[in-house]
Amino acid sequence: MSANQVKIRVIIGKVGLDPHDRGVIVLSHILREAGIEVIYLGRFQTAESVVKAAIEEDADIIALSDHCGVMPEIAEDVIKESKKQNAGDIPIIAGGFIEEKDIPVLENMGVSGNFGPGTSHKAIVDHIQKLAAKRYG
Amino acid sequence: MAVEYDRDSGKLVKFTTLSNIPVKTLYRPEDIKSLDYKRDLGDPGFYPYTRGIFPEMYRKRLWLKSQIACYAHPKETNKAFKKFIASGQTGLRILVDTTTHSSVDPDHPLGRYDISCNGNPTFAITEYREMLADIPLENVDIESACALAGGSFWTYLFLIALMDERGEDISNLRGTNINDPIHAAIVFGCPEFSDDQWELARKVNLDLIEFGAKNTPKWFPCTPCGYDMRDAGINAFQELAFCIGNAIQYYGDAIKKRGVKLDDFRPMVFSQSIEADFFEAVAKFRALRRIWARVAKERLGAITPRSMASRIGARISANSISFPEKPLNNTSRITLQSLAAVMGGAQSIDLAGIDEAFGLPSEEARIFGLDSQHIIAHESSIPLVVDPLGGSYYVESLTDKIEEGTLKLLDEIDSIGGMWECLKTGWLVDQFNKTTISLQKEIDEGQRLIVGVNAFKGDNGPISKALKESAYPVPPAEERKVAITKVKKLREERDQKKLVDALTSMYTAEKDNENVIRAGVEACKAYATVGELVGILRIAHGFPYDHYGILPTPEYLKHLE
Repeated sequence: MSANQVKIRVIIGKVGLDPHDRGVIVLSHILREAGIEVIYLGRFQTAESVVKAAIEEDADIIALSDHCGVMPEIAEDVIKESKKQNAGDIPIIAGGFIEEKDIPVLENMGVSGNFGPGTSHKAIVDHIQKLAAKRYG
Repeated sequence: MAVEYDRDSGKLVKFTTLSNIPVKTLYRPEDIKSLDYKRDLGDPGFYPYTRGIFPEMYRKRLWLKSQIACYAHPKETNKAFKKFIASGQTGLRILVDTTTHSSVDPDHPLGRYDISCNGNPTFAITEYREMLADIPLENVDIESACALAGGSFWTYLFLIALMDERGEDISNLRGTNINDPIHAAIVFGCPEFSDDQWELARKVNLDLIEFGAKNTPKWFPCTPCGYDMRDAGINAFQELAFCIGNAIQYYGDAIKKRGVKLDDFRPMVFSQSIEADFFEAVAKFRALRRIWARVAKERLGAITPRSMASRIGARISANSISFPEKPLNNTSRITLQSLAAVMGGAQSIDLAGIDEAFGLPSEEARIFGLDSQHIIAHESSIPLVVDPLGGSYYVESLTDKIEEGTLKLLDEIDSIGGMWECLKTGWLVDQFNKTTISLQKEIDEGQRLIVGVNAFKGDNGPISKALKESAYPVPPAEERKVAITKVKKLREERDQKKLVDALTSMYTAEKDNENVIRAGVEACKAYATVGELVGILRIAHGFPYDHYGILPTPEYLKHLE
């Protein structure tokens, strides 16, 4: 199976109390236009609820959004929860307001993308397609 | 190798305004031939206030220089407030961290990520005492910048409780509260007061207006907020129509149900966004004053002229300056946008930080924002004349266009049954979704150029790099634990009986459909936390105590369920 044959499914979640969702609304639209299936869980999720939904929806990728600058803490919890729920193989990408010093921290944790404001849509779509292709081998 | 020179590179790509109003090359007298000076403009200080709300405008009173100066902890914020006051800041903007903003306490399971992010955790009166220590509250302009409905509620309670404690006269509380639950619902989600019919949000909104009219006449209890809505991705027509539509809804309800009159209040305050489009921003402010004057007189029964006037609190759109590319360019953006606010006759200006893309503004970025306003005020001679663009064929024509589009939308809102209905039916969400995406698309497709982002790209030089490094960083995780320790300590030390009695009185008042503000103030004095102040209202309405559905009702309040 190749990424071209199946529709890629992305779960988007905002963990914690950050209410800024203009970014994810726009992102959802862009991804759908690129033929990617998007399930946006809405705001105020927990790490547990995001992973649970990713498993239930058979997501290929978990996308996390945060504008408070605390992505490493959020990602750490989501990764912990993924392992707990035996979903550690689902790749995690992140975007929003991410401090520069946090990018290597996130990369080390296995969180890729780490897109900031102004990122071109093509870069995000390409990244997702590449990750999905890798997943399907 | 020779570089090819193209004299047309960098030519204009867009011939409409930011809100896509088509614009001609030249405007001439015939473009404003239907304009009637007395009917449509009037001198400044006179109905319909298009040209400004005071006859002498800035000669008599400069705009309020108001900037958010809240940092990670109340003590740190107090120090910053004092420093900015000494630098000529004339208004205090209180902003809380995202956790408190969401009306939960620091130790709420969902709240731990966002403590001390974007403001200070002020979950109880103890924190207000620290944040506002040695700063008198009588006749100081205070803006509660808590946009969510819960935040508008308890910020006011805490301020009144603190003034009571200090023996200050609450009738001298001065400033503004946002208290705009519809905008909060659409922009932030606002789960604390949400239910199918929004009955709790509507009740608290009116309680604040009614109590304010009777007890704190210098305080404006409800200031419809266009700013946050605009930043969420709408155009100028929508910003004005939703803002005015909300004012009609709230004040119309308060007049009908609470026996207040528009004449009980000082001139209306609208919070507005200043976007990158210079003339559109100026024309928007002028159109807003004209539309509101007519609405206040014709629809809301205002009799005194000052109740038909509206004051504009202008804030630079964060969207326009939140790009990390070449942030030094933000100095130009901020200068142009603050100029638009002054030319448009704003009453208060809050300039976002030039380092907005990287965190909370550094101290120097804030002082730069203040100094930019001092430069406009004192070096440029611009504020000497009221409405200097009035009479311009273009600006008058654009003002008319914005008014026309806004009135069309207001008619649509009326036909749906007002803004609460627009929210309930999903019409409002659709409006946002449509424009948010189309605005973004224009940037992506290069139909709108943003310097450094999708055009004229370049590297960040040493100045831009320094800007990036000096922004106030997100506090490290350990710092977030401070507030958790503090709230736990407060819970152990407070007089539990006094607290439960005060919360019970609040519960009873809410249950009996009385105005709950006074009972809420007493609960603050008994050390109730934001989580409890909101939770008690929720259980009085039969909703679960915790609006995120995680915490159970505390043992000591179980008897009220």
